Amino acid sequence: MIVVNCPHCGPRNSSDLRPCGEVTSRPDPATASLSEWRTYLYMRENPSGWVTEAWYCRSGCRRYFTIERNTATNETRRSEAS
Amino acid sequence: MPDIEFKSPIAHGPVSAPDGSVSLEDETSTTKVVVRAATGTAAAADLGVPYGQSRLRADGTLVCGTRPGEWTLFAAAGRATEVAASVDTDGFVNVVDVTHGRAMMRVSGPKATAMLAKVCDIDLTDDMAPDGAVFSGSVAKVTCDLLRSDWRGEVSYLISCERSFGNYLFATLADASTEFGAELPTGLDIH
Ligand SMILES: [Zn+2]
Repeated sequence: MIVVNCPHCGPRNSSDLRPCGEVTSRPDPATASLSEWRTYLYMRENPSGWVTEAWYCRSGCRRYFTIERNTATNETRRSEAS
Repeated sequence: MPDIEFKSPIAHGPVSAPDGSVSLEDETSTTKVVVRAATGTAAAADLGVPYGQSRLRADGTLVCGTRPGEWTLFAAAGRATEVAASVDTDGFVNVVDVTHGRAMMRVSGPKATAMLAKVCDIDLTDDMAPDGAVFSGSVAKVTCDLLRSDWRGEVSYLISCERSFGNYLFATLADASTEFGAELPTGLDIH
């Protein structure tokens, strides 16, 4: 079980939430090259350590938020409403 | 909003333990009106309860802060039109009568919390979910809105879910109650 702290609902079992992966920034679709777009769609840092992730609180407040999670230990910190 | 004939999705009558430790009853006919209102609207100011809390309005409507910027109004059966009309719709405000769309049941008794804890991973202690607390979460794998609403001096919860899950949830909670002495009526058996 991973406990994820929703900024609205407090600590929840991760099964109550939907993980939406690493937070990435979307390039401008009008000017991005194919390679930039492919990188945005598929490439992730996937570090063994701290990563900023988006989560969706699907059975609680139905809001998206970001949280930092250590992928090696599952510690979490800095939960913020999106 | 025309008044449609009410039909509950829950096919079973109340379930209870003979010693009163836990009871379960269908409350689906309760009027349920969902309001979404942006910050700064008159509706948000009038409803006035933050996410996670509830209050009883003078007209007998129970106002629940169901989600940030979203409220559910509960009232006696058949009051949907009147309750919906009580909300000021000026600005970014949306009012929907979900009375027929959501099933609702009440779990009460000194063992209600222990029974619910079998199928719900939310912390139900008095510190985290006192009388009047509003929260959402998984109950027997069904996403539900819950309200701790003590009744007749006993711990009590009102649980609502999508209509089509109502009969399953009722049967599953009845099954979870058997550990506390509840007797299942004939025909209600999930095994
Ligand atoms: Zn939440």
